[in-house]
Amino acid sequence: MSQSLRPYLQAVRSSLTAALCLSNFASQTAERHNVPEVEARTSPEVLLTPLTIARNENERVLIEPSINSIRISIKIKQADEIEHILVHKFTRFLTQRAESFFILRRKPIKGYDISFLITNFHTEEMLKHKLVDFIIQFMEEVDKEISEMKLFLNARARFVAESFLTPVRLCPRYSAYRISRSDSPLVRLSQAGYSGRQGNHICI
Amino acid sequence: MSVIREHTQATLSDAWRTINIDALQEDSSVNFDTSTLHPPLPEASEPEVRQLAGQVRQLLRGGDAEGALRGCLESPVYSNSSELARDAHLQTVIEVLQSIKASDMTPMLQRIYASPGGSECLDVLMKYLYKGMAATSTASGSSAPRTPTRMTPQQTGFSQIGARPGAPTESTGAAMSVLLSWHEKVVEVAGLGCIGRVMTDWRRV
Repeated sequence: MSQSLRPYLQAVRSSLTAALCLSNFASQTAERHNVPEVEARTSPEVLLTPLTIARNENERVLIEPSINSIRISIKIKQADEIEHILVHKFTRFLTQRAESFFILRRKPIKGYDISFLITNFHTEEMLKHKLVDFIIQFMEEVDKEISEMKLFLNARARFVAESFLTPVRLCPRYSAYRISRSDSPLVRLSQAGYSGRQGNHICI
Repeated sequence: MSVIREHTQATLSDAWRTINIDALQEDSSVNFDTSTLHPPLPEASEPEVRQLAGQVRQLLRGGDAEGALRGCLESPVYSNSSELARDAHLQTVIEVLQSIKASDMTPMLQRIYASPGGSECLDVLMKYLYKGMAATSTASGSSAPRTPTRMTPQQTGFSQIGARPGAPTESTGAAMSVLLSWHEKVVEVAGLGCIGRVMTDWRRV
């Protein structure tokens, strides 16, 4: 683990552990309803101060605690355009399967890539420290996953480019000369354009 | 006269559906007065904050880092003061934090925690740590919005424009790592309750 990642994850871990203190709280607006207050926002007194933990401007976590639910939003590191696309695809893949993840929110909140919503029912069913471990592990894995995918993508692009250009590259010089004498329309076109460079203009 | 005839084009629109009718009711939970959740806050004006910053800097120059830290933590600028004053005080706190060596952090925090009123001081410090991380990450984010056009091109060998990616993030990253290591030390000394008090305290900085 890199030097600055450890304190970042440690800060997220301690903040999450402190924030995951949830209790059952029925809605004050609608009778016999029980909604996550952090989403409904109908009672300002049960929403606690949101906490932001940032490693740098591209990597941060927002924890919004409330009495019966907490919302954790993660902004995943995106150094360039390819990583931006990969993160988008990856989070989309996960959020489309949100029902089997239980705590995953279907839509990230604005400015972040992925959001989790933990309610008091989740903390009653699941172990609190395991939930915290899951979030931390997710944050560790996702960076690794994205950089792996990026390397894989680059390797594949190189391979595709090579095999795409192979037939042209294998074309020997004398056959190029012969082709340029033929009557194919492409060659005639190239002869018109590059009349001074006949013979080797197809070779790369 | 029929009721239906009174409808005009304006009343037939569905804009009324977006009105939160709960908010119109006076005893609704949406209208809870959150100012009852904290004691009246002292208001600090910007010149006062600047004066305090000057004193703190003098203490720092004199080598009394602990006194400087205590000085700025004992008079936090709360949310009822102006935005300028709050930002100025945040800058002062971050400046003090950055000037303290990593090896001095834990003993200094332990001394502050043991002294009378030290627990409150560390709570305020924790508030400023979170605020500092939030402010730095969003301030730089707003000045350089993450749009695809602004993004540095990927270095695949195809694009030759490869500017050094993450050049502006280095300074903010260094500032963040100072705050993160302070965060770790404060949790070590004051425990998780410190974070809990930051979340539940309505005296926001």
